Order: sequence, then structure tokens, then C-alpha cells
Amino acid sequence: MSEFGLYPDGDEEVTRGLRALYAAPSGYGYWNELESRIMARVASVELAWWDEFDRWVRPALVLAALLIIAAAIAMNRAQKEATDSAYSAILAPPPVPGPENIRPTLMLDRDATLRYILAPRPDTSRNH
Amino acid sequence: METCTVGISVATANELPRDVPLSDDGIKENERALVIAAQRGDGSAFSALVRAHQRRAYAVCRAIVFTHEDAEDAVQEGFLHAFKALDRFLPDQPFGAWLYRIMANASLDLVRRRKVRDADELPETLAIPFRDPGEADELRRRLAEALAKIPERQRSVIVLHDVEGFTHGEIGTMLGIPEGTARSDLHHARAALRRLLDDMRSDL
Repeated sequence: MSEFGLYPDGDEEVTRGLRALYAAPSGYGYWNELESRIMARVASVELAWWDEFDRWVRPALVLAALLIIAAAIAMNRAQKEATDSAYSAILAPPPVPGPENIRPTLMLDRDATLRYILAPRPDTSRNH
Repeated sequence: METCTVGISVATANELPRDVPLSDDGIKENERALVIAAQRGDGSAFSALVRAHQRRAYAVCRAIVFTHEDAEDAVQEGFLHAFKALDRFLPDQPFGAWLYRIMANASLDLVRRRKVRDADELPETLAIPFRDPGEADELRRRLAEALAKIPERQRSVIVLHDVEGFTHGEIGTMLGIPEGTARSDLHHARAALRRLLDDMRSDL
């Protein structure tokens, strides 16, 4: 342990001096009391932790329950929407023909209408 | 109670001999059981750990701080930290080494706080208890003065090594320095103490 013995004679005294300076207190009473003080501090921390926990536990539980309910509703809605859109996709009528297919027909009808409007008509007023 | 599941009881924890350091393998196995019980919330198991380690913990703190009162504060603070961090400790590791590292950190924190508060009073604080006129007290007084003049870490290293018998490796772990640095600090501390005490002797 100590290597002060390698020094000149006086250093043995130094080692003893060091040990005296830094000696731990002796006596059961001192250590029992220190242990009590340590455990009292530990207990106060334990109590503080529990009190704090107790103060927060109810609001936290309510909040957690609300969050769970909200999440369940959101999931339910999302699932319903997905189902509805899937059914809609299946049950939707087949797509109507494109405008390029109907355009000639429409044009013919329009031309016929125009011809009808613009065509000269017999003067019906003379007959009266 | 949960302690039954680890094979010890409150009575066992209370029956541990006071002030006997845990060193034998059997006692270390008991210590492991105490740690596990304390981790499960058994206060008497933690109390038994305090009882077993407080003397050495005090010595570690006393080597780092400047006064007995500060050492007591650091010990209490250290045990409090240990209690809070207990659930992160692996029971298969040596509990003492872990605890003394916490004690050293608590002491270093306290020294830093004290420095900020009353740095100028430190050398005087060291010398105060040793003003008796007797020869032994005179040596202690001079030793305290010399210790106040060497760097703090060197002082801690020489006390931990020469007074408490910690190895260089243990000291390095506690103080957060490499083993080689602890070894060299010890060498420098001895040389400085020898020089300072020689100077004082020649002044007489």
C-alpha cells in the first residue's frame, strides 16, 4: 500500500499524519446516525416521487383514455371510408362513351335543327 | 413481499454486521441479492447496502473534498444518486466500484460548487483543525498546509492510495482518469509533499 517507507525516516510519520488527517470517524453511534440521515433523504425522495406520480396519474389516465377513444374513432372512420370507396368502385356504371364517338351524331342533330330553323316556310297568313 | 423471491428477507438485511466491509465471495453474493432486492423497492435492503459501504464511501469523499462536513454531505448526495440510478445498475457488476465512482462524482461536484462560493477560504479551512501545539499536531498542521498547496487531484490520489489502499486502476475509475495518470499523479504528489515538508522543516 504505502510506499512512504522508501523515503527518509521522517516520511513514515507523514504517512501516519495523512492517515490521522483523513481518518474516518470511529464509533457505531456516528455511523448509525449517518445511515439514518442517508435513509431519511432517500425516503424523502421516494415520497416526493410517489406524491408527484399520484398527482399526475389521474389526469394522465383520463388523457390516455381520451387519446385511445379518439384514435379508435379515427381508425373506424378511415376504415369506413376505404370500404365505401371500394364498394363505389365496384358498383359504379360502366364509363360513358367518349366525346369523339358522339360528336358526329351531335353534329348531325345540330345541323338538322339549323336546317329546320332556316328553311323557308310556306306563308300561312295568306290562307286566312 | 418481493424480498422472498430473491432469498433474503428484511430480517436478513437488518442482521448484516454493522461496519464490516463486504469482501468475501459469500458476502458478495449476499450483496448481489441485496442489490436485486433494493432494485425491487426493498428499503431495508438498500439500508443494508448503505451500512456496508458508508465507511469506504466516506473515505472516498473525504479524499476529494476539503472538510469532514463536506465529506458527509457528499456521502449523502452520493447515496441519493445511487438510489435514483439503482435500476440502471447491473447486479453482476461490482457494486462497490460503481458506488465509489458515484461518490467521487458527488464529491467533485461539491468541490466545484464550493470553489465558486468561497475559493479563498480553502487553505485556511484545511489548516483550522490542526493548530494544537503538540509535535504530532504540528506535523499534521504542516502536512495540511502542504496538502493544500498541491493540485487537488494529486491530493485525492495520494489519500486514496496511501490512506485507503485503493489501486491505481480503482482510483483512475473513480476519478475518471487513466490508470497511468493516477500513477503519475501519485508520484508527483509524493514528490511535492516531500519538497514542501522539507522546506517547512528547514524554516523551523
